[in-house]
Amino acid sequence: MQSCVRWFRSAKQDTGLGLIAGLGLLLYIVFIVAPIFMSLNSSFTDENPLESQSHFVGLANYRSMLHDTELHSTIVFTLALALGVTIMANVIGVLFAVLLNRTQLHYRVLRTLAFLPQVISGVITGFVWKTIFTEDGILNTLLTHLGVIHTPIQWLGTPHLAQLSVGIVVTWVLSGFTTVVYLAALQSIPGELYDASSIDGAGTFQQFRMITLRMVAPATTISVTISLITVLKLYDIITVLTSGGPAFSTESTAQYIVKVAFTNDQFGYASAIAIALLLMSAVIALTVTGLLRRREVDL
Amino acid sequence: MIARHDAPPAVRPLSLSSEAPGRIRRRVRRAATGARRHPIRLTLAVLITALFVSPIYLTVVNAFKSEGAIESSPAAPPLHPTLSNLSTAINRPDQLLQLGLRNSVITVVCSVLLLIPLGSAFSFYISRKRTKPRAVILAVLSAGLMVPPQVVLLPTIRILTLLGLDHTYPGLILANISGGYFSFAVFVYVGFMRAIPDEVVEAARIDGAGSLRIWWTIIMPLVRPATATVTIFLSLWIWNDFLNPLFILGPLQGQTITTGIYLSVGQLQMNYGQLFGIMFLAGLIPVIGYLTLQKQFIAGLTAGSTK
Repeated sequence: MQSCVRWFRSAKQDTGLGLIAGLGLLLYIVFIVAPIFMSLNSSFTDENPLESQSHFVGLANYRSMLHDTELHSTIVFTLALALGVTIMANVIGVLFAVLLNRTQLHYRVLRTLAFLPQVISGVITGFVWKTIFTEDGILNTLLTHLGVIHTPIQWLGTPHLAQLSVGIVVTWVLSGFTTVVYLAALQSIPGELYDASSIDGAGTFQQFRMITLRMVAPATTISVTISLITVLKLYDIITVLTSGGPAFSTESTAQYIVKVAFTNDQFGYASAIAIALLLMSAVIALTVTGLLRRREVDL
Repeated sequence: MIARHDAPPAVRPLSLSSEAPGRIRRRVRRAATGARRHPIRLTLAVLITALFVSPIYLTVVNAFKSEGAIESSPAAPPLHPTLSNLSTAINRPDQLLQLGLRNSVITVVCSVLLLIPLGSAFSFYISRKRTKPRAVILAVLSAGLMVPPQVVLLPTIRILTLLGLDHTYPGLILANISGGYFSFAVFVYVGFMRAIPDEVVEAARIDGAGSLRIWWTIIMPLVRPATATVTIFLSLWIWNDFLNPLFILGPLQGQTITTGIYLSVGQLQMNYGQLFGIMFLAGLIPVIGYLTLQKQFIAGLTAGSTK
């Protein structure tokens, strides 16, 4: 009897909070969980916004993905970009963090500046870098003034240079983030490790390799995973900088999905690619996190 | 060597110093005066940072230069500063910046004001549950951080159409408060709430407080740093969001600052001065926000990355 009353009272005590918490979960289910299953469902149909009826087409959308050369090139580019940018941004992040890891005022000011690219929206980033890379842009003007080049370089006009340019811009954005994450990790390394190793006669490079790189392993896991996920869903920077051109050379899979859905009106096919991208992201993120976690444990 | 300490390191055991006294003393002294003895390091740090922020520098200086000055020497500081780029940007007939700012502020404020109570109440609710269901719920929520927005965009628009909220601000805000942003808020709050001892909640319960009251008057003040982190990062991300406003709002409902810039700057040819003027003004609010709140920014990232 006593416990029954207590149960009733605690249930009543919990109702208000439970309602708010439940509302949060409900919204998440309606707008994230349900849409994933709706996309999965659409991926088996020929859904098209211009037609009222859609038909079940089985695996036809997935089969056409096998022969879609534009899709293949977006996947290759997206994966190459994800790999290249993640490596570059994390190498730059570690080195930059080591360089800035001091407490004096100058270094604190520099640290503040280092995170700045993260704060600016992808659209602004895209436009600013476009004025730098475009044919009569700032980079070519400067290089001409310095006498390095005589004819402007087509940074955004030739496929390989455009891909490189996109890589540079995305690396720039992510390096600010990785630097701050690695700085936080560096500050948690006990200084005794360095003192002890220098007494043992370890040099700078040895200390970096044996202490710094190992002690920031948990930060590496976070930083690498977030870099990868960010590039895999990248949309705004590329859209502004190159709109996927020239000749689709810088088109990411995320952009291709939006194009197939809203320009070609093939909702069913777009959903199939979206599901493929989701699987690809999940597999990559889980594999990489698993591998890097194991490296943390090995210490 | 990498001099780790700016303060002199602790005195070492004598037995060690007897092996190589001179060398150790040298090291100690070098560590103590590392900054002054290594001007190269500072120079290098300054040069690399300068290179790193050069695109931002270019935007700032060129926003105050005339078209001719931009073309002849884009990297020089504004020797004859002009405000004409900024006034052109502000006095555009389509009121790009004013309307964009207004719409972005509405979207950000409403989304964050709803996300904070929803996320924190949800976190408090599950942080007191048994570990197994909690782990399952957190795993489901972590998907929200990973799902590319393109995957859920089409169904989201269809659900909003069903609710009669497509192409409206409530629709955009609804999509914001339920996506990956909710997951982020929950992850930050759960991390902080786990650190609160159960006794705090028990004591309040014995005093007769209901869960709702405990959450709002006891837990929320205790997790204020979490609220700061969530507010700062969600505001920034929602402010900079591009895909959702572009497709959920559509062109008829006016633009947020990001989509507005994309649509108007992308479509017509514009000279560099005007472009830099717009970019400068549009980037000003997040940058000022970051510079004033940078301690909390970094603290938030640090807390997030060590959890």
